[in-house]
Amino acid sequence: MEKSFVFKFLGLNFDLSGIIGSTLMAAVILFVCIWLSRKVEMKPNKKQNALEYLLDFTNNIVKDNVEDEDAQKHLSLYAFVLFLFIWFMNMLGLFLEVKAGDYMFVKSPTADPVTTMSFAMMTLLLSFTFGIQKFGVGGFWRNYAAPVGFLFPINMIEEITNFLTLSLRLYGNIYAGEVLLTLIGNSLAPSFGISTLVLAAPLAMIWQGFSVFIGSIQAYVFVTLSMVYIGKKVTKE
Amino acid sequence: MTFQTLFAASGHIYLGNTLWYLIVFAILLVLVKHYAWGPVSDMMEKRRQKVINDLDSAASDRKKAEVLANEREAALKNSRQEATQILSDAKANAQKTSSKIVADANTDAASIHDKAKADAAQAKADALNEARGQVADISVAIAEKVISKNLSAADQKDLVDQFIKGLNE
Repeated sequence: MEKSFVFKFLGLNFDLSGIIGSTLMAAVILFVCIWLSRKVEMKPNKKQNALEYLLDFTNNIVKDNVEDEDAQKHLSLYAFVLFLFIWFMNMLGLFLEVKAGDYMFVKSPTADPVTTMSFAMMTLLLSFTFGIQKFGVGGFWRNYAAPVGFLFPINMIEEITNFLTLSLRLYGNIYAGEVLLTLIGNSLAPSFGISTLVLAAPLAMIWQGFSVFIGSIQAYVFVTLSMVYIGKKVTKE
Repeated sequence: MTFQTLFAASGHIYLGNTLWYLIVFAILLVLVKHYAWGPVSDMMEKRRQKVINDLDSAASDRKKAEVLANEREAALKNSRQEATQILSDAKANAQKTSSKIVADANTDAASIHDKAKADAAQAKADALNEARGQVADISVAIAEKVISKNLSAADQKDLVDQFIKGLNE
């Protein structure tokens, strides 16, 4: 198993591969978004159409799961950027893995539970914020005891399980995809000379294609569940 | 142990990454909003409004056109009716005039006929009267002539006789 390069800065541990991957993908997203929206017109051109299609897609995720119209407006941007960010990070490890010595420098940041937990935590905190904004502190806590009082501990536990399942689902899918891709590339391909090398190429290709599919589905699921959790906080049960 | 398998091979929990992700995500959020999401969302909203406006104006235009078409149809109907009215009026007028003309002609003809008849009768009567006078004069003249020339004694006697006979009867 490859090691990740961890360094300490200001008393906090930083994993370099995650930082490189996320920063790289953020730059790519920014570049793509700016490129697609260079000329925004009333009659959309092809690039603008693509961006609008994507925006419609994430807006629909928000609209389907959040009933509160005020929250919808705020969540539209969050869902859009979150979907793009997670999708691009899922895709990164499929075509680019940089390893120097024993250390991994570039891979999918989402194949790391810290990353997925960061985003799940963001969603969780955002849902708290929206809930408190909508119902106030008292109303927010009372919603945990709805519809009956004894459900309070169960609702509290649900919050933790929501957080864990949301983050670990994404992590597991992407991590498994990368592990298998690494296995095909590093272990299967050179095992018996040229014959396995020829066999491994289409296998890797198929698995990459499937991983694109999985990565897209997982990004969609992550955003959808984020919206479901936030939507639950802003609707009275 | 569990954490070691969960958090990669390093064995560290790197909370620094969480912070980094949050910062990167926040920056990305702001930049994407400024460069792509904001303008495109605005444009989509504007387009939505435009479509709504266009649909509304199209509906009102259609209504207007409908009203106009109805008006035109009514006007057409009216004008058709008017034309028929005018035609029938003209026909009636013509008939009236023609019958009047015929009646006038008839009365004229009758009066002319009557006048002619009267004239003819007058002329006849005048002619007869005149002729009567002239016949009397002529017959007296002829009689004078006959009497003065050819009346013999015997004839005279006969005449006298006849006259006397006439008296007797």
